[in-house]
Amino acid sequence: MPGEIISGMETMDSKTNIWKAAGLLARLAVGGVFIYAGTIKLLAPAEEFAYAIETYKVTGPQLSLWAAYVMPWLELYAGLLLVAGIFTRFNAALCGALLLFFEALLAQAWLRGLPVTSCGCFGSGGSNSLPVEFLQNLVFLALAYLAYRFGRLFSADSKAD
Amino acid sequence: MGYTKIMRDNVRLAALAGAVMFLATIAVLLARQLALVPSRPAPGFRTFGPPDAVVKIEEYSDYACGACRGAAGKLEEMLKIYPGGIRLTLKHYPLVNIHPWSLDAAAYADCAGEQGKFKAYTARLFESQEKWGRTARKPGEFEAFARELSLDWPAMQACAASPQTRQRLKLEMAEGDLKGVSATPTFFINGKRAVGPGQLLEQLRKLDKLLENRNKPAGECPEK
Repeated sequence: MPGEIISGMETMDSKTNIWKAAGLLARLAVGGVFIYAGTIKLLAPAEEFAYAIETYKVTGPQLSLWAAYVMPWLELYAGLLLVAGIFTRFNAALCGALLLFFEALLAQAWLRGLPVTSCGCFGSGGSNSLPVEFLQNLVFLALAYLAYRFGRLFSADSKAD
Repeated sequence: MGYTKIMRDNVRLAALAGAVMFLATIAVLLARQLALVPSRPAPGFRTFGPPDAVVKIEEYSDYACGACRGAAGKLEEMLKIYPGGIRLTLKHYPLVNIHPWSLDAAAYADCAGEQGKFKAYTARLFESQEKWGRTARKPGEFEAFARELSLDWPAMQACAASPQTRQRLKLEMAEGDLKGVSATPTFFINGKRAVGPGQLLEQLRKLDKLLENRNKPAGECPEK
């Protein structure tokens, strides 16, 4: 009987470890994508990204330009802090919220049939179609949730505990 | 006790977050300053020399700027001396604060380029820059040059006013801003910055050997 309890505990431990490893990978994946997306936009003129934002027909030129100045920095910082595991849950939630916001933008453009040639996700270069980008973001949203729930392995947060 | 530890840990994490964000900011700003910014392709009529040239020059220029006129002449000479060694890409960077018609000049130059007369049109713009550069009213030279070169002036007007042309010019200026261009002419010679014709020639002098070797006929041994 005690043997069964011990093996049951081991199974629970190994399950927990699998979730922790998945959380770590999800954290690195989401953080990496945010770092890449932010950096590539920061090394190109903000006007280019602003032009991509304008094609969603939600904001005017001036607000688009402001968004183009702010958003890449936000993506870069959130991505870096998530990868390093600093305030992991907060940054995973922030990345998730940003992804939800992007999903809303993509969905309204898709439903309205807007001619968006570049989604602006990774700078102003060409991108996949809106439905593909939407599905891709859904995957990252799921990963952000994993990072939120189980992303503390090898994080700066866990060192602080 | 527990509360103090949580506070201390949070302060430590906040300091770490601040350090990471600070370093990332510095890295991005340095990358911009060192011109590690990918360049937008320029139209074919603004690119001269073979794609595999050993010296690649990107010039940010303004048609109303005197130093740009001087540099254009020198670059023309260099392209003739080293036909296979230099690739020149011209980028517009009109200094609109001091040259009110530079942006229009750049737009008309591109539109002349689309009709196959970029070089001839820009040569005229440079030659007469004192006449049209600072006038209060819209200069008549833009049209006069187009007619001299038998260009389709109504088409040029439509092209110069089109949102696509204006957008391209604005993006090119924004690219220059991002690379820290603030004066014209600014050159990036194999990625290294030079401002003014003097620095251009100085840098090209350093690349003389490379250019001479490139210019030699095939089979000839390079000098030792």
